[in-house]
Amino acid sequence: MSPNRRIGVYVCWCGGNISDVVDVKKVVEVISKESDVVVAKDFMFMCSDAGQRMIEEDVKEKKLDAVVVASCSPKLHELTFRGAVTRAGLNPYMYYHANIREQVSWAHGNDPAEATRKAIRHIRAGVAYLRHAEPLKKIEVKAARSVLIIGGGVAGLRSALDLSRMGLNVYLVEREPFVGGNTAKLWEVYPYKRKGWEVIDSILKDLLGRDNVAIYTNAEVRSVSGYLGNFEVKVEIKPRGFRGRCEDLERVVSVCPIKVPNEYDFGLTNRCAIIAPPYPGAYPEIPSIDWKNCVKCRKCAEVCDQIELDDEVQTVRLKVGAIVVATGFRPYEPRQGEYKYGSSERVLTLPQFMKLVERSGGELKLGNRTIRTVVFIYCVGSRQVPSGDEKVNSYCSRYCCNAVMNLSVRILDRFNGLKLYHLFRDIRTYGKHELMYEEACKKGVIFIKYDENQPPEVLVSGKRTIVRVRDLLTEREELEIPSDLVVLVTGMEPTPNEKLNEILKLPIGKDGFYQEMHPKLKPVETTLAGMFIAGACQGPKDIRESVLSSSAAAAKAATLVLPGRIELEPFTALVDPERCNLSKRCVDECPYGAIQIRRYEGLGEKAWVNEVLCKGCGACVAACPNGAINIRGLTNVQIEEMIRAAGRE
Amino acid sequence: MGVMDQILEKAVEEEEAVSYDVLVVGGGIAGESASLDLADMGFKVLLVEKEPSVGGKMYLLSKVFPTLDCASCISTPRMAAVSHHPNIILHTYSEVLEIRKLSESDFQARILVKPRFVEDDCTGCGQCEKVCPVVVPKEYDFGLRGRKAAYIPFDTAVPKKALIDLDHCIFCGQCERTCPVGAVNFLQVPKVVKVRVRAVLIATGYELFSIERKTEYGYGKFKNVITAMQMDRLLAPTRPFNAVLRPSDGKEPSSIAFVLCSGSRDRTLNNPICSQVCCMYSVKQAQLLMGALPLADVTIYYMDIRAFGKGFEEFYQQAKAMGAMFVKGRVAKIEETENDDLVLWYEDIENGGRISKAVHDLVVLSVGLKPNSEIVEVFKGEVLERDELGWIRSRDENVNPVETSIKGVFAAGCVLGPKDIPDTVLEAGAAAAQVAAYLNEVGV
Amino acid sequence: MISYVGIDFAGLQHMHYPATTSIMRLPCSSMIRPEWIILALKNGFDGVFVAADGTDCPYLRDCTDRTAKRIDDALKLAEKEGIEPQRIKMAAICSVCGEPFANHMHNFYRELKELGPVKR
Repeated sequence: MSPNRRIGVYVCWCGGNISDVVDVKKVVEVISKESDVVVAKDFMFMCSDAGQRMIEEDVKEKKLDAVVVASCSPKLHELTFRGAVTRAGLNPYMYYHANIREQVSWAHGNDPAEATRKAIRHIRAGVAYLRHAEPLKKIEVKAARSVLIIGGGVAGLRSALDLSRMGLNVYLVEREPFVGGNTAKLWEVYPYKRKGWEVIDSILKDLLGRDNVAIYTNAEVRSVSGYLGNFEVKVEIKPRGFRGRCEDLERVVSVCPIKVPNEYDFGLTNRCAIIAPPYPGAYPEIPSIDWKNCVKCRKCAEVCDQIELDDEVQTVRLKVGAIVVATGFRPYEPRQGEYKYGSSERVLTLPQFMKLVERSGGELKLGNRTIRTVVFIYCVGSRQVPSGDEKVNSYCSRYCCNAVMNLSVRILDRFNGLKLYHLFRDIRTYGKHELMYEEACKKGVIFIKYDENQPPEVLVSGKRTIVRVRDLLTEREELEIPSDLVVLVTGMEPTPNEKLNEILKLPIGKDGFYQEMHPKLKPVETTLAGMFIAGACQGPKDIRESVLSSSAAAAKAATLVLPGRIELEPFTALVDPERCNLSKRCVDECPYGAIQIRRYEGLGEKAWVNEVLCKGCGACVAACPNGAINIRGLTNVQIEEMIRAAGRE
Repeated sequence: MGVMDQILEKAVEEEEAVSYDVLVVGGGIAGESASLDLADMGFKVLLVEKEPSVGGKMYLLSKVFPTLDCASCISTPRMAAVSHHPNIILHTYSEVLEIRKLSESDFQARILVKPRFVEDDCTGCGQCEKVCPVVVPKEYDFGLRGRKAAYIPFDTAVPKKALIDLDHCIFCGQCERTCPVGAVNFLQVPKVVKVRVRAVLIATGYELFSIERKTEYGYGKFKNVITAMQMDRLLAPTRPFNAVLRPSDGKEPSSIAFVLCSGSRDRTLNNPICSQVCCMYSVKQAQLLMGALPLADVTIYYMDIRAFGKGFEEFYQQAKAMGAMFVKGRVAKIEETENDDLVLWYEDIENGGRISKAVHDLVVLSVGLKPNSEIVEVFKGEVLERDELGWIRSRDENVNPVETSIKGVFAAGCVLGPKDIPDTVLEAGAAAAQVAAYLNEVGV
Repeated sequence: MISYVGIDFAGLQHMHYPATTSIMRLPCSSMIRPEWIILALKNGFDGVFVAADGTDCPYLRDCTDRTAKRIDDALKLAEKEGIEPQRIKMAAICSVCGEPFANHMHNFYRELKELGPVKR
């Protein structure tokens, strides 16, 4: 049974907005006869100082323990009146806001009598609600003032620097032996002709040496437990195999029998199982053994005393308040034979071509052959047209038009006599990047628009490579372009992260990239509280955009952990273990992973809600076959009583 | 000089009283988002908005690409949040007059708080609006409908308080007599508030390109040539006529054309860059129009469809599948016929580039964005740099795009360059991070 | 959450719809227990309209699908109780969907009027 409550009801005129339609005097008269209602009054403006003071005085004098105000939408003044009752000494949640303006007087100006009855129904529901209300307290969680960053590319490094500068402890975990990610591998990037590694370096030089930053390379996250503000993370760090720098690294490398594609030039060349620092300023500056490919023949150890092949994997345990995931992208790898990729050495991807350019001296050469004509084919691995059940990348990779335009302008400046053909679908040099397109046009790049249903063909016969394409700009005339090199303008794909995905359980979108909470307003947040996504792991981005998104992720992580404690609304789900029959439907229903099965003393296994993760949506309330879950502040009994009260005429 | 200007000249200078951690200029989605992040981190924020309500341009939009979220649904909670946050002080209807850097992390700002001629007691009941006899074009609907001289800017304005437009007021005194709380006060005077802040964030956004300048398109002359912003208002749930009608005769249009790159990618108008949003908002409007007017044809004249963001390409393909027609070709000129229809002359690129023409009964110019960066003029001492086109210049586009030429002054959103809402929100977050890092490093 | 604002919006625009409605707020429409719908129909209400939040829902992007499941369950319960299925309706109402909401209410009112009161 409900306790005997002393409830005050206050009906607002809203200066006529309500009282011109609703008969407020009648409302007061009817409501004052409700049981538990000690006082009912009307007033010109309840939200005015005088109105609020009236409520405060009544609470004290008449010893009210709950208050209903019937006025405008709760969106406008619910907080105002929670404040007023708090000042009078009540718990702020012993308050109900009945909406009789937006949902009554303004909607029913044509029917004052029924509008008055509707107002009474809304207020009765409020009284019923308060009869079963309990005082609530905001949930306070202590938060570790530290953040884990997964991924050490340009995004992860930027997040790390920002968070460190804000005074938070930062742990950065990078799977590869060096930080820098894809960015460090790039040649001159727009808009400053700066090399990729120089961009990385300008962040690193601020980041290294900060005493609140720890960077783990060759490291992977093995488990994450806990929750927002209090994650416990296990990280495994593989040894580098090197104690320090080798005197003669070239010799060490030359004795290694292993040959695998070198990911630091996108497979343009091969490397051995010892990975030397791949670019100036690489961090750490010590080489690393590639354990996946090393066969432990120990030939290298014979020529360098800094090599130690038997170090153990180390494990560190971290406690962090938030996690930023910045695992980036991988360049699309064309299928074997796609535009003769893999079968002809004169077909390269855009990143490979970039490395070729970087390596060339005064002349652009592939092997011994000087390159005069280059044909670029756009949208390889992007904007794919679905056919059958095959999974395709239907998205646009965003950066490629800009990148190929930048690269074209740069190589035309650098090498004489080059002829460039761009076979495109749309030129998407958005925003200020348009100026690069303009420059490429001025420098004589030839643009040919192809139809996605009739893509270009690469024909190889002997030493000749010909690209056949129908040009939409000249009435689909068929052109055959003899070329020295075909460059496939490849897009981005999410980095494969199966193990990590299993650990973090971040939602993944249709395109394979991590799914943000809301594409507009919550672009770095995820449905998992305390976990954020930064950079190209959320979707294709260039360097500028990656950096922005990682700073944004840093800001969001900081709003949680910087104050050291997190305050959450008390409207969370609560399981009644006595009624729970372990259907586990709530566990499946909860989008936030807030419900687990736990052992209760004397009751055995039952559902349990982590109130820190619960957002109070109530999906579990509806899913529970036994009605064993309630939302604090809106319990099942409250809802049922409100229905009965409003239905009573 | 209007009455209001004369009154503003007599602003009363107040003594410096308060200091804040950061001054945010501009209460659109960028300024709001950054303010909330900073306030959540515990910094004290002063948010200054020139208009009488926060909300900026985003609030005006109908649904937004590529998810067709309703813009006001997702922006009003953020507008309310800035007005409720204990760490944010909000000055609407206010302008920054001067910002002077005194030393590192010490700026002095002078802010003009314009009189609303309505005291804070106003409860937003709207009675004044009912009795006011003066009707003038409503800014928020780009003139598509009217408002009173005593008015609340729009239904979900924040703060939801009335103001009186003195330039159009006839001083009949009706509002003053009607106001139930006696909040109307014609004797209010403007004041200049002096504050000290430790950092500044510029989020003044953009203006629409003045497409009157492209005389070949006849905007302002031909009644049935409208801008895409007007079309967005016609499609918005808060729209003026509750229907999509063409202006000349109020008929439902049956053949609608979108002219992309109106005022963008155009050297002749000194705006060579792409405005980054027009392709997508046009594709969005096309989809909404096909829903609202199932019998109407929608044709989009484009140079390239720049559907580059997350989910954009799929959204573009969806519009094609729904039946929107895409014609590659730049529109050279528009002519009006006797019955107010419009003839578009364009280069039909996919058909050999010949000059073709087509008749439509409503033309939407997909106008581009221009920087709203006049704020640079209030900086005294150090110069806040802009690029050749007037966008605020980033100190480093690769490494830290939200830093400006003045240390301690940051920028976010469209004032740095044209961009859509997702990118604006990212930049706002990034700016919040940089401001927080700066404030923490320079110490108290 | 979102639909509630949409219903407010109908009022803001002074759009009329039958005043014999009563409005109850839930954080997300997917919270509704099918039993509550039946409870309302047995306690004086002739019909129940569930305004789903749609894709703008701050809690769940798929809340409309989830809400639809609750409605299915409620319809099954109603059948058992001998209550006409036409008394239960749902639609997605966005925060500025004032007009669609008012239209739904008019139509629903008409349909319920034809049905008459719930038979007990």
